[in-house]
Amino acid sequence: MKRIAVRNLRLCTKDCLCLYVCPNGATDTEDSIIDKDKCIGCGVCADACPSKAISMVIQDYPPQQKKKESVVNAINRLAENKAKEEKAARQIASSTTDNNLRRLMNAVARSSRLVAEDLLREGGYMLPQSSNSLDLLASLIAAPPSDEFPMKAANEILSTIECNDRTGRGKYRCTVCFTEFEEEDDGEKPSCPMCHAEGKALEKL
Amino acid sequence: MKYICSVCGYVYDEDSEKIPFTELPDDWTCPMCKAPKSLFESEEETEAPEIREIEESDDMEQLSPGVLAALFSNLARGAQKQYKTRESELFSEIAGYFTAASPSLPEADPEMIKELTENDLTILYRNLNDIASSAADRGALRVKVWGEKVTKIVNAIGSRYIREGGDFLSSTEIWVCSICGFVYIGDTPPAICPVCKVPDWKFDRIEGGT
Ligand code: SF4
Ligand code: SF4
Ligand SMILES: [Zn+2]
Ligand SMILES: [Zn+2]
Repeated sequence: MKRIAVRNLRLCTKDCLCLYVCPNGATDTEDSIIDKDKCIGCGVCADACPSKAISMVIQDYPPQQKKKESVVNAINRLAENKAKEEKAARQIASSTTDNNLRRLMNAVARSSRLVAEDLLREGGYMLPQSSNSLDLLASLIAAPPSDEFPMKAANEILSTIECNDRTGRGKYRCTVCFTEFEEEDDGEKPSCPMCHAEGKALEKL
Repeated sequence: MKYICSVCGYVYDEDSEKIPFTELPDDWTCPMCKAPKSLFESEEETEAPEIREIEESDDMEQLSPGVLAALFSNLARGAQKQYKTRESELFSEIAGYFTAASPSLPEADPEMIKELTENDLTILYRNLNDIASSAADRGALRVKVWGEKVTKIVNAIGSRYIREGGDFLSSTEIWVCSICGFVYIGDTPPAICPVCKVPDWKFDRIEGGT
Protein backbone atom coordinates (compact mmCIF):
# COMPACT_ATOMS: atom_id res chain seq x y z
CA MET A 1 0.00 0.00 0.00
CA LYS A 2 1.45 3.34 -1.04
CA ARG A 3 2.16 5.71 1.83
CA ILE A 4 3.67 9.13 2.22
CA ALA A 5 4.95 11.03 5.23
CA VAL A 6 2.97 14.00 6.56
CA ARG A 7 4.28 16.30 9.25
CA ASN A 8 2.05 17.74 11.95
CA LEU A 9 3.34 21.29 12.11
CA ARG A 10 1.95 21.85 15.59
CA LEU A 11 4.08 19.09 17.06
CA CYS A 12 7.19 19.58 14.95
CA THR A 13 10.14 21.50 16.43
CA LYS A 14 11.55 22.03 12.91
CA ASP A 15 15.14 21.42 13.78
CA CYS A 16 16.07 17.80 13.86
CA LEU A 17 16.37 14.22 12.80
CA CYS A 18 13.93 13.75 9.96
CA LEU A 19 15.95 16.21 7.89
CA TYR A 20 19.01 14.08 8.42
CA VAL A 21 17.59 10.60 7.80
CA CYS A 22 15.43 11.07 4.71
CA PRO A 23 17.11 9.27 1.80
CA ASN A 24 15.49 11.56 -0.74
CA GLY A 25 15.61 15.04 0.76
CA ALA A 26 11.82 15.17 0.98
CA THR A 27 11.64 16.54 4.51
CA ASP A 28 13.94 19.53 4.16
CA THR A 29 11.54 22.11 2.75
CA GLU A 30 11.16 25.81 3.40
CA ASP A 31 7.48 25.62 4.39
CA SER A 32 8.07 22.46 6.46
CA ILE A 33 5.49 20.53 4.43
CA ILE A 34 7.07 17.26 3.31
CA ASP A 35 7.48 17.17 -0.46
CA LYS A 36 5.05 14.48 -1.51
CA ASP A 37 6.61 14.12 -4.95
CA LYS A 38 9.99 13.27 -3.44
CA CYS A 39 8.77 11.09 -0.57
CA ILE A 40 9.12 7.39 -1.32
CA GLY A 41 7.21 6.33 1.78
CA CYS A 42 10.04 4.51 3.54
CA GLY A 43 8.88 5.69 6.98
CA VAL A 44 12.39 6.32 8.32
CA CYS A 45 11.60 9.93 9.21
CA ALA A 46 8.52 8.93 11.22
CA ASP A 47 10.58 6.45 13.22
CA ALA A 48 13.33 8.99 13.80
CA CYS A 49 11.16 11.89 14.89
CA PRO A 50 11.45 12.41 18.68
CA SER A 51 8.22 14.40 18.79
CA LYS A 52 5.92 11.90 17.04
CA ALA A 53 5.22 14.67 14.56
CA ILE A 54 5.21 12.55 11.40
CA SER A 55 2.46 10.17 10.35
CA MET A 56 2.60 7.82 7.44
CA VAL A 57 -0.58 8.42 5.46
CA ILE A 58 -2.03 5.81 3.16
CA GLN A 59 -2.39 6.98 -0.42
CA ASP A 60 -4.55 4.36 -2.05
CA TYR A 61 -7.55 3.41 0.00
CA PRO A 62 -9.53 0.29 -0.79
CA PRO A 63 -13.05 0.94 -2.09
CA GLN A 64 -15.82 1.41 0.49
CA GLN A 65 -17.98 -1.67 0.75
CA LYS A 66 -21.06 -1.48 -1.45
CA LYS A 67 -24.34 -0.95 0.41
CA LYS A 68 -27.65 -2.53 -0.47
CA GLU A 69 -29.92 -0.05 -2.18
CA SER A 70 -32.65 -0.51 0.45
CA VAL A 71 -30.17 0.41 3.20
CA VAL A 72 -29.00 3.48 1.29
CA ASN A 73 -32.61 4.59 0.80
CA ALA A 74 -33.42 4.21 4.48
CA ILE A 75 -30.26 6.16 5.36
CA ASN A 76 -31.05 8.94 2.90
CA ARG A 77 -34.56 9.36 4.23
CA LEU A 78 -33.16 9.93 7.70
CA ALA A 79 -30.55 12.32 6.35
CA GLU A 80 -33.35 14.34 4.74
CA ASN A 81 -35.12 14.66 8.09
CA LYS A 82 -31.89 15.59 9.85
CA ALA A 83 -31.28 18.31 7.27
CA LYS A 84 -34.76 19.67 7.94
CA GLU A 85 -34.15 19.63 11.69
CA GLU A 86 -30.92 21.55 11.15
CA LYS A 87 -32.65 24.10 8.93
CA ALA A 88 -35.52 24.60 11.38
CA ALA A 89 -33.05 25.02 14.26
CA ARG A 90 -31.01 27.58 12.30
CA GLN A 91 -34.12 29.58 11.46
CA ILE A 92 -35.32 29.61 15.06
CA ALA A 93 -31.85 30.57 16.31
CA SER A 94 -31.59 33.49 13.92
CA SER A 95 -35.06 34.88 14.66
CA THR A 96 -35.34 34.52 18.43
CA THR A 97 -34.34 37.12 21.02
CA ASP A 98 -34.24 34.51 23.80
CA ASN A 99 -30.59 33.66 24.35
CA ASN A 100 -31.39 30.28 25.92
CA LEU A 101 -33.45 29.24 22.93
CA ARG A 102 -30.75 30.47 20.56
CA ARG A 103 -28.09 28.39 22.32
CA LEU A 104 -30.33 25.36 22.34
CA MET A 105 -31.11 25.72 18.65
CA ASN A 106 -27.44 26.22 17.78
CA ALA A 107 -26.80 22.94 19.59
CA VAL A 108 -29.62 21.18 17.71
CA ALA A 109 -28.34 22.50 14.36
CA ARG A 110 -24.83 21.28 15.12
CA SER A 111 -26.06 17.93 16.39
CA SER A 112 -28.34 17.32 13.39
CA ARG A 113 -25.50 18.13 11.00
CA LEU A 114 -23.19 15.67 12.74
CA VAL A 115 -25.80 12.92 12.65
CA ALA A 116 -26.49 13.59 8.96
CA GLU A 117 -22.76 13.50 8.18
CA ASP A 118 -22.42 10.17 9.94
CA LEU A 119 -25.41 8.77 8.01
CA LEU A 120 -24.02 9.92 4.66
CA ARG A 121 -20.59 8.54 5.45
CA GLU A 122 -22.17 5.19 6.12
CA GLY A 123 -24.37 5.51 3.02
CA GLY A 124 -21.40 5.58 0.65
CA TYR A 125 -19.66 8.94 1.00
CA MET A 126 -16.84 7.97 3.33
CA LEU A 127 -13.99 8.92 1.02
CA PRO A 128 -13.54 12.11 -0.99
CA GLN A 129 -11.77 10.02 -3.64
CA SER A 130 -14.58 7.49 -4.15
CA SER A 131 -16.42 7.40 -7.47
CA ASN A 132 -19.60 8.18 -5.50
CA SER A 133 -18.17 11.50 -4.34
CA LEU A 134 -16.42 12.41 -7.58
CA ASP A 135 -19.37 11.45 -9.81
CA LEU A 136 -21.65 13.60 -7.68
CA LEU A 137 -19.29 16.55 -8.16
CA ALA A 138 -19.13 15.89 -11.89
CA SER A 139 -22.92 15.83 -12.14
CA LEU A 140 -23.15 19.14 -10.25
CA ILE A 141 -20.64 20.69 -12.62
CA ALA A 142 -22.59 19.38 -15.62
CA ALA A 143 -25.86 20.79 -14.28
CA PRO A 144 -25.09 23.44 -11.64
CA PRO A 145 -28.04 24.05 -9.29
CA SER A 146 -27.61 27.84 -9.62
CA ASP A 147 -25.20 30.52 -10.84
CA GLU A 148 -23.68 30.81 -7.37
CA PHE A 149 -22.57 27.18 -7.31
CA PRO A 150 -18.78 27.23 -6.65
CA MET A 151 -17.70 25.78 -10.00
CA LYS A 152 -14.03 26.61 -9.50
CA ALA A 153 -13.88 24.71 -6.24
CA ALA A 154 -15.65 21.69 -7.73
CA ASN A 155 -13.39 21.65 -10.78
CA GLU A 156 -10.26 22.00 -8.71
CA ILE A 157 -11.24 19.00 -6.57
CA LEU A 158 -11.90 16.90 -9.64
CA SER A 159 -8.55 17.79 -11.14
CA THR A 160 -6.54 17.06 -7.98
CA ILE A 161 -8.19 14.02 -6.40
CA GLU A 162 -7.62 10.72 -8.08
CA CYS A 163 -10.45 8.17 -7.92
CA ASN A 164 -9.68 5.09 -5.81
CA ASP A 165 -12.33 2.66 -7.01
CA ARG A 166 -13.05 3.16 -10.69
CA THR A 167 -13.13 -0.40 -11.97
CA GLY A 168 -10.77 -0.41 -14.95
CA ARG A 169 -12.59 1.78 -17.44
CA GLY A 170 -11.52 0.32 -20.77
CA LYS A 171 -10.22 2.32 -23.70
CA TYR A 172 -11.44 1.40 -27.18
CA ARG A 173 -10.80 2.27 -30.82
CA CYS A 174 -13.73 2.04 -33.21
CA THR A 175 -12.71 0.18 -36.37
CA VAL A 176 -15.53 1.82 -38.33
CA CYS A 177 -14.82 5.52 -37.78
CA PHE A 178 -11.47 5.25 -35.93
CA THR A 179 -12.66 7.24 -32.91
CA GLU A 180 -10.82 6.42 -29.69
CA PHE A 181 -12.93 6.61 -26.55
CA GLU A 182 -13.23 5.56 -22.91
CA GLU A 183 -15.93 3.20 -21.76
CA GLU A 184 -18.74 4.87 -19.77
CA ASP A 185 -19.24 3.82 -16.16
CA ASP A 186 -22.94 3.09 -16.68
CA GLY A 187 -22.87 -0.69 -16.88
CA GLU A 188 -23.94 -0.63 -20.54
CA LYS A 189 -21.99 -2.41 -23.28
CA PRO A 190 -19.34 -0.11 -24.75
CA SER A 191 -20.42 1.64 -27.93
CA CYS A 192 -18.70 4.20 -30.12
CA PRO A 193 -19.83 7.74 -29.24
CA MET A 194 -19.52 8.82 -32.91
CA CYS A 195 -21.05 6.04 -35.00
CA HIS A 196 -22.60 3.83 -32.28
CA ALA A 197 -20.73 0.74 -33.48
CA GLU A 198 -20.62 -2.03 -30.87
CA GLY A 199 -19.14 -5.45 -30.19
CA LYS A 200 -16.59 -6.76 -32.72
CA ALA A 201 -16.31 -3.37 -34.43
CA LEU A 202 -14.52 -2.11 -31.32
CA GLU A 203 -10.89 -2.81 -30.63
CA LYS A 204 -9.78 -2.79 -26.99
CA LEU A 205 -6.66 -0.70 -26.42
CA MET B 1 -36.92 -4.92 38.67
CA LYS B 2 -34.18 -3.21 36.67
CA TYR B 3 -34.66 -0.12 34.50
CA ILE B 4 -32.19 0.66 31.78
CA CYS B 5 -31.37 4.04 30.22
CA SER B 6 -31.98 3.69 26.48
CA VAL B 7 -29.34 6.33 25.74
CA CYS B 8 -26.30 5.33 27.79
CA GLY B 9 -27.20 1.94 29.23
CA TYR B 10 -27.16 3.05 32.89
CA VAL B 11 -29.00 0.51 35.05
CA TYR B 12 -31.37 1.57 37.83
CA ASP B 13 -31.64 -1.56 39.95
CA GLU B 14 -34.55 -1.35 42.39
CA ASP B 15 -32.97 -4.05 44.55
CA SER B 16 -30.07 -1.80 45.44
CA GLU B 17 -31.89 1.55 45.40
CA LYS B 18 -34.17 2.87 48.11
CA ILE B 19 -36.93 4.20 45.90
CA PRO B 20 -38.94 2.12 43.40
CA PHE B 21 -38.42 3.45 39.88
CA THR B 22 -42.04 4.47 39.34
CA GLU B 23 -41.96 6.58 42.50
CA LEU B 24 -39.00 8.68 41.39
CA PRO B 25 -40.02 12.30 40.73
CA ASP B 26 -40.95 13.18 37.14
CA ASP B 27 -37.96 15.47 36.78
CA TRP B 28 -35.52 12.75 37.81
CA THR B 29 -32.84 12.23 35.14
CA CYS B 30 -30.24 9.61 34.33
CA PRO B 31 -27.17 10.22 36.54
CA MET B 32 -24.89 9.41 33.61
CA CYS B 33 -26.36 11.17 30.58
CA LYS B 34 -29.28 13.19 32.00
CA ALA B 35 -31.84 11.44 29.84
CA PRO B 36 -35.33 11.94 31.33
CA LYS B 37 -37.12 9.16 33.19
CA SER B 38 -39.31 8.50 30.15
CA LEU B 39 -36.28 7.23 28.19
CA PHE B 40 -35.78 4.36 30.64
CA GLU B 41 -37.11 0.95 29.74
CA SER B 42 -37.80 -1.84 32.19
CA GLU B 43 -35.79 -4.99 31.65
CA GLU B 44 -38.86 -6.85 30.41
CA GLU B 45 -39.76 -4.29 27.80
CA THR B 46 -36.34 -4.39 26.21
CA GLU B 47 -36.38 -8.16 25.88
CA ALA B 48 -39.39 -8.45 23.59
CA PRO B 49 -38.39 -7.65 20.03
CA GLU B 50 -41.50 -7.01 18.01
CA ILE B 51 -41.73 -8.26 14.48
CA ARG B 52 -42.55 -5.59 12.00
CA GLU B 53 -43.21 -5.46 8.36
CA ILE B 54 -40.20 -4.07 6.57
CA GLU B 55 -41.07 -0.91 4.77
CA GLU B 56 -38.94 -0.59 1.66
CA SER B 57 -38.85 3.01 0.64
CA ASP B 58 -38.83 4.33 -2.87
CA ASP B 59 -35.72 5.62 -4.47
CA MET B 60 -35.10 9.18 -3.52
CA GLU B 61 -35.16 11.24 -6.67
CA GLN B 62 -32.54 13.73 -5.61
CA LEU B 63 -30.74 14.75 -2.48
CA SER B 64 -31.95 18.11 -1.18
CA PRO B 65 -29.58 21.08 -0.70
CA GLY B 66 -29.63 20.49 3.07
CA VAL B 67 -28.44 16.91 2.65
CA LEU B 68 -25.84 17.95 0.09
CA ALA B 69 -24.54 20.47 2.64
CA ALA B 70 -23.97 17.66 5.15
CA LEU B 71 -22.58 15.40 2.45
CA PHE B 72 -19.93 17.94 1.46
CA SER B 73 -19.08 19.05 5.00
CA ASN B 74 -18.54 15.37 5.70
CA LEU B 75 -16.19 15.09 2.72
CA ALA B 76 -14.36 18.17 4.00
CA ARG B 77 -13.76 16.30 7.25
CA GLY B 78 -12.71 13.21 5.32
CA ALA B 79 -10.19 15.21 3.31
CA GLN B 80 -8.85 16.82 6.48
CA LYS B 81 -8.25 13.40 8.01
CA GLN B 82 -6.08 12.53 5.02
CA TYR B 83 -4.16 15.81 5.42
CA LYS B 84 -5.66 17.11 2.16
CA THR B 85 -6.01 20.62 3.52
CA ARG B 86 -6.67 22.40 0.23
CA GLU B 87 -9.33 19.91 -0.86
CA SER B 88 -10.92 20.15 2.57
CA GLU B 89 -11.31 23.92 2.15
CA LEU B 90 -12.86 23.43 -1.28
CA PHE B 91 -15.35 20.86 0.02
CA SER B 92 -16.24 23.26 2.84
CA GLU B 93 -16.87 25.99 0.31
CA ILE B 94 -19.31 23.74 -1.56
CA ALA B 95 -20.95 22.72 1.74
CA GLY B 96 -21.37 26.39 2.61
CA TYR B 97 -23.03 27.03 -0.72
CA PHE B 98 -25.60 24.28 -0.08
CA THR B 99 -26.20 25.37 3.52
CA ALA B 100 -27.10 28.83 2.22
CA ALA B 101 -29.13 27.42 -0.69
CA SER B 102 -31.33 25.27 1.55
CA PRO B 103 -34.85 26.75 1.19
CA SER B 104 -36.51 28.32 4.26
CA LEU B 105 -39.17 26.35 6.07
CA PRO B 106 -42.47 28.08 6.71
CA GLU B 107 -42.95 28.78 10.43
CA ALA B 108 -40.10 26.89 12.04
CA ASP B 109 -40.59 26.55 15.81
CA PRO B 110 -39.45 24.15 18.55
CA GLU B 111 -42.68 22.18 18.03
CA MET B 112 -41.54 21.39 14.49
CA ILE B 113 -38.25 19.98 15.74
CA LYS B 114 -40.13 17.87 18.25
CA GLU B 115 -42.36 16.47 15.49
CA LEU B 116 -39.48 15.77 13.12
CA THR B 117 -37.47 13.94 15.77
CA GLU B 118 -40.57 11.97 16.79
CA ASN B 119 -40.96 10.91 13.18
CA ASP B 120 -37.28 9.82 13.13
CA LEU B 121 -37.77 7.72 16.25
CA THR B 122 -41.13 6.13 15.57
CA ILE B 123 -40.70 5.43 11.86
CA LEU B 124 -37.37 6.14 10.19
CA TYR B 125 -34.92 4.65 12.69
CA ARG B 126 -37.08 1.57 13.20
CA ASN B 127 -37.22 1.15 9.49
CA LEU B 128 -33.45 1.49 9.14
CA ASN B 129 -33.05 -1.00 11.97
CA ASP B 130 -35.20 -3.61 10.21
CA ILE B 131 -33.63 -3.12 6.80
CA ALA B 132 -30.07 -3.08 8.13
CA SER B 133 -30.72 -6.19 10.28
CA SER B 134 -32.13 -8.15 7.39
CA ALA B 135 -29.16 -7.11 5.26
CA ALA B 136 -26.80 -8.01 8.14
CA ASP B 137 -25.21 -4.59 7.67
CA ARG B 138 -23.24 -3.85 10.84
CA GLY B 139 -22.10 -0.42 9.77
CA ALA B 140 -25.65 0.70 9.11
CA LEU B 141 -26.75 -0.73 12.48
CA ARG B 142 -23.99 1.22 14.22
CA VAL B 143 -25.06 4.47 12.57
CA LYS B 144 -28.64 3.67 13.56
CA VAL B 145 -27.77 3.10 17.23
CA TRP B 146 -25.77 6.30 17.60
CA GLY B 147 -28.18 8.47 15.65
CA GLU B 148 -31.23 7.12 17.43
CA LYS B 149 -29.75 7.84 20.86
CA VAL B 150 -28.77 11.36 19.88
CA THR B 151 -32.23 11.94 18.42
CA LYS B 152 -33.86 10.76 21.68
CA ILE B 153 -31.87 13.30 23.67
CA VAL B 154 -32.60 16.12 21.22
CA ASN B 155 -36.28 15.24 21.33
CA ALA B 156 -36.28 15.09 25.14
CA ILE B 157 -34.52 18.44 25.57
CA GLY B 158 -36.74 20.08 22.94
CA SER B 159 -39.87 18.73 24.64
CA ARG B 160 -38.68 20.05 27.97
CA TYR B 161 -38.16 23.49 26.46
CA ILE B 162 -41.70 23.44 25.06
CA ARG B 163 -43.13 22.32 28.43
CA GLU B 164 -41.33 24.64 30.77
CA GLY B 165 -39.46 27.31 28.80
CA GLY B 166 -35.71 27.92 28.80
CA ASP B 167 -34.96 28.63 32.48
CA PHE B 168 -33.30 25.26 32.91
CA LEU B 169 -30.61 26.45 30.48
CA SER B 170 -30.02 29.85 32.08
CA SER B 171 -27.11 29.32 34.41
CA THR B 172 -25.44 26.35 32.78
CA GLU B 173 -23.74 25.33 29.54
CA ILE B 174 -24.84 23.33 26.48
CA TRP B 175 -22.32 20.88 25.02
CA VAL B 176 -22.33 18.89 21.79
CA CYS B 177 -20.12 15.85 21.18
CA SER B 178 -18.18 16.74 18.03
CA ILE B 179 -18.11 13.10 16.95
CA CYS B 180 -21.68 11.78 17.35
CA GLY B 181 -23.75 14.93 18.06
CA PHE B 182 -24.86 13.98 21.59
CA VAL B 183 -26.22 17.04 23.43
CA TYR B 184 -25.46 17.52 27.12
CA ILE B 185 -26.56 20.23 29.53
CA GLY B 186 -24.30 20.89 32.49
CA ASP B 187 -21.46 23.04 33.76
CA THR B 188 -18.84 20.65 32.42
CA PRO B 189 -19.13 17.96 29.73
CA PRO B 190 -19.33 14.29 30.80
CA ALA B 191 -15.98 12.50 31.22
CA ILE B 192 -16.81 10.30 28.26
CA CYS B 193 -19.58 10.64 25.70
CA PRO B 194 -22.43 8.33 26.79
CA VAL B 195 -23.17 7.50 23.13
CA CYS B 196 -19.86 7.20 21.26
CA LYS B 197 -17.44 7.03 24.22
CA VAL B 198 -14.98 9.75 23.18
CA PRO B 199 -13.34 11.75 26.03
CA ASP B 200 -14.67 15.10 27.28
CA TRP B 201 -12.30 17.28 25.26
CA LYS B 202 -14.14 16.20 22.12
CA PHE B 203 -17.19 18.15 23.36
CA ASP B 204 -17.80 21.68 22.03
CA ARG B 205 -19.40 24.36 24.17
CA ILE B 206 -22.25 25.99 22.28
CA GLU B 207 -22.32 29.77 22.22
CA GLY B 208 -25.33 32.02 21.83
CA GLY B 209 -24.16 33.88 18.71
CA THR B 210 -25.41 32.91 15.28
S1 SF4 C 1 9.01 8.53 4.41
FE1 SF4 C 1 11.15 8.26 3.75
S2 SF4 C 1 11.22 9.36 1.80
FE2 SF4 C 1 9.34 10.03 2.80
S3 SF4 C 1 9.96 11.88 3.85
FE3 SF4 C 1 10.15 10.19 5.32
S4 SF4 C 1 12.29 9.55 5.16
FE4 SF4 C 1 11.85 10.81 3.36
S1 SF4 D 1 12.26 14.97 13.45
FE1 SF4 D 1 10.12 15.46 13.96
S2 SF4 D 1 10.25 17.27 15.29
FE2 SF4 D 1 12.25 17.05 14.28
S3 SF4 D 1 12.10 18.37 12.49
FE3 SF4 D 1 11.48 16.31 11.85
S4 SF4 D 1 9.26 16.27 12.09
FE4 SF4 D 1 10.01 18.03 13.20
ZN1 LIG E 1 -28.41 7.55 30.55
ZN1 LIG F 1 -20.30 11.24 21.18
